[in-house]
Amino acid sequence: MSKIIGMILAGGRVDELLTLTEKRPKAAVPVFGIYRFIDFVLSNMMHSKIENVGVLSQFRPYSLMKHIGTGEHWDFIGRKRGIRILPPYKGLRESDWYKGTADAVYQNLSFIDEFNPEYVLIAAADHIYHLNYQRVFDFHKEKKADVTVCFANPEKKYPWFGYGIIEKNGRLVDYQEKPEKPISDWVSMTVYIFRRDLLIDLLKKNALAGSHEFGRDIIAHLPGQYAVYGYKFYDYWSYARTIDMYYEANMELLKGKIKIDKWDICTNLVEGCALKDRVPARIEGRVINSYVSPGCIIKGKVINSILSPEVVIEKGAEVIDSIVFHNTIIKNGARLKRVICDKNCVIGEGVEIGFFGAHIPSKEFKELLNKGITILGKQTIVNPGVKIGANTVIYSEKIITENLIEPGSVIK
Amino acid sequence: MKKEIIALLLAGGVGSRLSILARLRAKPAIPFGGIYRIIDFTMSNIANSNIDVVGVLTQYKPLSLMEHIDNGRPWDLFGKTRLVEILPPKTGEEVSDWYKGTSDAVYQNLGFIDDFSPDMTIILSGDHIYKMDYNELKSFHKKKDADVTISLIRVPMEQAHHFGIASLNKNGRIVEWEEKPRKPKSNLASMGIYIFNTKVLKSTLLESAKKGGIDFAKDVIPLLLNKKMRVFGYEFTGYWRDVGTIDAYWNCNMDLLRPESGLKIEEWNIRTNLFVRGEIGAKIPAYISKSAQVENSLISPGCIIEGRVKNSIISPGVIIEKGAKVYDSIIFHNVAIGKGAQLIKTIVDKNVKIGKGSTIGKGNLIPNKVLGLNLSTGITVIGKGAIIPEKMTIGKNCIISPGIDLSKKGLNKIESGSVF
Repeated sequence: MSKIIGMILAGGRVDELLTLTEKRPKAAVPVFGIYRFIDFVLSNMMHSKIENVGVLSQFRPYSLMKHIGTGEHWDFIGRKRGIRILPPYKGLRESDWYKGTADAVYQNLSFIDEFNPEYVLIAAADHIYHLNYQRVFDFHKEKKADVTVCFANPEKKYPWFGYGIIEKNGRLVDYQEKPEKPISDWVSMTVYIFRRDLLIDLLKKNALAGSHEFGRDIIAHLPGQYAVYGYKFYDYWSYARTIDMYYEANMELLKGKIKIDKWDICTNLVEGCALKDRVPARIEGRVINSYVSPGCIIKGKVINSILSPEVVIEKGAEVIDSIVFHNTIIKNGARLKRVICDKNCVIGEGVEIGFFGAHIPSKEFKELLNKGITILGKQTIVNPGVKIGANTVIYSEKIITENLIEPGSVIK
Repeated sequence: MKKEIIALLLAGGVGSRLSILARLRAKPAIPFGGIYRIIDFTMSNIANSNIDVVGVLTQYKPLSLMEHIDNGRPWDLFGKTRLVEILPPKTGEEVSDWYKGTSDAVYQNLGFIDDFSPDMTIILSGDHIYKMDYNELKSFHKKKDADVTISLIRVPMEQAHHFGIASLNKNGRIVEWEEKPRKPKSNLASMGIYIFNTKVLKSTLLESAKKGGIDFAKDVIPLLLNKKMRVFGYEFTGYWRDVGTIDAYWNCNMDLLRPESGLKIEEWNIRTNLFVRGEIGAKIPAYISKSAQVENSLISPGCIIEGRVKNSIISPGVIIEKGAKVYDSIIFHNVAIGKGAQLIKTIVDKNVKIGKGSTIGKGNLIPNKVLGLNLSTGITVIGKGAIIPEKMTIGKNCIISPGIDLSKKGLNKIESGSVF
């Protein structure tokens, strides 16, 4: 598939993910124990035999650069294969920060030119799905399309999705970003195939405009003007734009709705320059309907939860309906319910988090946090005996010493 | 490239007492503890001791071992001045240059040692489970101004006849050495770890080879003592196990589940090769279902556990279906255990399929007909890729050969002690 190259949109920082994206771009947010969001699109690229990929990254790209490394984990090393991180650079103009997804690609047209491809595949880095882009590419060629946009049909239709109306012959006749009411069941997956010459034209035109987002400023204007087709994808797709959606995607894994064991997702196992060969999970306590990563030591109880590597659950501790990232310790007798707990936290003995006030929304993020989910940022230390109400957000590196944190609190 | 010390790792062993586990691979390449291979322990000790040139001497079925060692990168032995080299036997001027024994293998690779002009050469074996900082051994060796230092460990007196046994004087110098003595005079057993001053190693190997010597314990050490060289014994007091028999292998794996055993794998920083073919796609975390019950076990990534697992070690990609029971067992990679199957004290090699409702490891405690006392404590071993049909019963101390498809044999019971 040397005629096509991949461009991954990995720049964004999304405030709606609160502490999860406090110190990392969304593409680098951990998910399903050992992965990061970008692993899905990278693995899709790899399985689709797209051999040259550029990653457009702007917000705190370090963790992403470290994660992608040489690209060998996705088999991007070789004479004809490669992956390159494309951060913003200083150009002739005063400021060349990416002003949007379309601008990011526009500023890297020279990268695309290097490979002289006929087609460019553009995909976002923060969606969960397993798709062989080769099929989309075949569809694109069969339809003799100028542009193909991939659409999924998820259970929940959120207002911030982009919706498309696709005719029987596959033609995309209308596309609206964030419409007041969904105009169809089909939601953009932010996966596009463009004819390269057309892409260049469109981006050059867009560069003169005031706004530079692919969905709103380019795709929405294409129907009627060009041969734009909608590729319907019938499998699982999700997009964690908010904490609720992130949490939901994790719970869907536990409900068996996401067959990731069949997806062959690759990730980087070499972290911090040291190969992480972790001991298989040591289970001495009770584990029910949960994913447990290597290096975990479980002496307490884990129910309906997903644990990243090297999480320690001490005796008498209980983790229910929760997501716990790497190297966090839940001490003796501590209890967690509906908690997203970031890396390197220490939850003291007898602490209780998320057991009361689920109906009291967050004081600051009323719309975002009102379903009883509590989020602890990186390296939170919760002193023994502390009780923390639901819908609370604790930003990273805080030490919680108060006996009681009211539901809906925000600790910055 | 001049080095202070380099390591030679003897990894050629046939491991015949490990029966079918070692039929298709060298003993050091046998899987251990879910994700490791036996050689990882020595390789990690080397890396953790900052020794950065290693020759691995292979001979018997080296393919899986070579693939595993790869370019040494998993142990950080990859770079301009850091390396691991596989040293297989080679055809030279003589008719047959197979390695005839441990010292012969090193003798045939003196050229490799010369490339680094090391002051000291440490000889290691690839089939033991232990954690050791070789720097301590090296410091001892230097402090004693020794020509050779042998690492020793106290073993139960009744086992001493399996080992090379040393007697020390007050100063730690070895005054007597017996290889596998009938009546041991001490219980200080050789761990197969030697530090040699390289000059002494070369001259002694040349001399020993002339006399037909091929083995460190049988030929080289006695020669050194004869010549009144300064041979010292360093007593190691940590956890160390020779896993040369099925019993020892099983027990040592079970030590992973007994924190009091001293095998504290989480603290040992053991590294393995995660890049081996097909493994590069990181396996998903283990899934433990609602119906599962897991007690005191190690569960690797990629496993789906729906049945009951107790006191067992489960390698990556294993599927244990509902109602299945796996007790006191060691299950290698990608084994599928069907609904309601029962396994007790069973070692199951890779890619085995165990049919629904089958029972393995139950029956009378009759020693194995071929291995006798070497397989008499009730452990049954299922070879790589074997297929066990539904409702089959297999007794204790059985050996089921690799690749065999029992569903085509028209039987439903294999008595204890059988070899099939």
